[in-house]
Amino acid sequence: MNPILVYCKRDLVRWFRGKWGFIAAMAMPAAWLIFVGLALPIRFTEHYIDFVTPGILAMTVLSASLAGGGLLILDRMLGFFNKFLALPPPRESILFGKILVITIRGVIQSTIILIFAFLLGARLYSLTQLIGTYIILFIFGALLSAAATTIAIYLDDHDQYAAANAMISMPLFFTSSAMMPYDVMPAWLEPIARVNPLSFAIDGIRILQTGEIPVTQISVLSLLCIGVVTLAIHVFRKVKI
Amino acid sequence: MATTSRHNQSVHEYPLVTHSLTKRFGDLLAVDNLTLSVGTEIFGLVGPNGSGKTTTVLMLTTLLDPDSGDATICGYDIRKNPRRVRESISYVPQDMAVDVRLSGRENVIMFAELYGVKNPVERSNEVLKILDLLDRADERAKVYSGGMRRRLELAQALVHNPKILFLDEPTVGLDVAARKKIWEHIRTLRNDGMTVFVTTHYMDEADRYCDRVAIIDHGRIQAVDTPARLKGIISQDIISVSISGKFTGIDVPGVSFAHQEEDTLIFHCENGAAALPLVKDALSDAGNQVLSMSVRQPSLDDVFLHLVGPGEDKSPFKSSTFRNMMGKR
Repeated sequence: MNPILVYCKRDLVRWFRGKWGFIAAMAMPAAWLIFVGLALPIRFTEHYIDFVTPGILAMTVLSASLAGGGLLILDRMLGFFNKFLALPPPRESILFGKILVITIRGVIQSTIILIFAFLLGARLYSLTQLIGTYIILFIFGALLSAAATTIAIYLDDHDQYAAANAMISMPLFFTSSAMMPYDVMPAWLEPIARVNPLSFAIDGIRILQTGEIPVTQISVLSLLCIGVVTLAIHVFRKVKI
Repeated sequence: MATTSRHNQSVHEYPLVTHSLTKRFGDLLAVDNLTLSVGTEIFGLVGPNGSGKTTTVLMLTTLLDPDSGDATICGYDIRKNPRRVRESISYVPQDMAVDVRLSGRENVIMFAELYGVKNPVERSNEVLKILDLLDRADERAKVYSGGMRRRLELAQALVHNPKILFLDEPTVGLDVAARKKIWEHIRTLRNDGMTVFVTTHYMDEADRYCDRVAIIDHGRIQAVDTPARLKGIISQDIISVSISGKFTGIDVPGVSFAHQEEDTLIFHCENGAAALPLVKDALSDAGNQVLSMSVRQPSLDDVFLHLVGPGEDKSPFKSSTFRNMMGKR
């Protein structure tokens, strides 16, 4: 079996057997969907849940990826990382294993959120929209999990990682196009939102909803992803403990 | 061809050779010009905490780059050919890291797959059997005792038949019975032709189970030899005397004062039984009251104290340096 898949399988099995991690990871996006999607007094659209669902999906992948970086922190703190580094497979297979498992986790969670959104009254996606949405979420997940795993190499412990996590996730979410379209944003927010990688994923899914193919968004996310993964491979290859 | 045959020969004689291996962390010299040749044996690197044992193992297992010097593992240079080195060795760090949510068997199969073992399931079964874990192999590692977890780690390490096994403090935190069992397994491996490089700060275990021992302190090797010959460095017998009053020194032929631990004086001599009354008289003459005396054979502890002195490390604890040395960052 390919070492990447071995590493991935290990983390997936541990996740499923852990139960609470799985449930806890669902709580926040579900709460957002219900309390923001259904309760917020919004004027610019009749059907806010349709608008906000792509934002919540991207947010699910974001929080799953950032939480996923913690896997590496734990591996380092408990001594697994040292053991893995002393094994024959190339060291970047540890990285790819993490990217794969974190992205799979993110996609599984988004699927549940998506089903939840449909149950709450969001308009159903066509097959093309669904495939497009998954492609975007997968690229976005790979981008973020590579970034989170690389950050986790540099930070000392769980506390610091949790702090970095909080520092990244909230600002990233609120400065994106998740909550409102660009034309109702305050003028100072719009330029920030337009370059926020989260917005590219969200806008991509929204463009899919209109029936078009978001070529720009997918290309930008793919390029970013390739860039970050290349950097991460470099970091993993030369990592010394 | 000449190089090849020499290469093979050195591999044959010494699977592990280091030459002037040196590592610094800031101004701390963690490992200082370490030169060793280790054959097919149980080789113990013993010394107090922070003496450079773990740093040495981390360099030999390719996890840390040395600042200078070199080392070859089974003929492969640790810097030029780390991948080959990793294929030839197994490393069990001191943390006891087994996946508690996986069963014992799953833990071992995972490593078999990572090592690229041909038939991971059968091979895992074999090593689980060797380490007496087969009957509980399908339980989660969560319910395993400390000793079982350590044996599970050994099973993981043995699954690809490494030529050299590195064990960092394999018995730390285990009870007496579990320690004995671990060491018996280590012995069997050596008898089957494996080189076992083990670090420990338990001198008695090193004494009992290691074929050769290197005593390391402040990153420097102080002595390398069999435990018996190391103990021969000091003397036949050790006399320990507890006294009251200030010790000012005595002069008894054939008896040398080694050091003082609170009210207990340690003397080295060749014939303890004969020297005992002479020491007692000399102490009484010097105005010390003798409370108790005993004669014993030297232990590795005595050798260690003889070589490096009883001084406890008084330098302030630097957590960043400590983490570096523990390989945790």
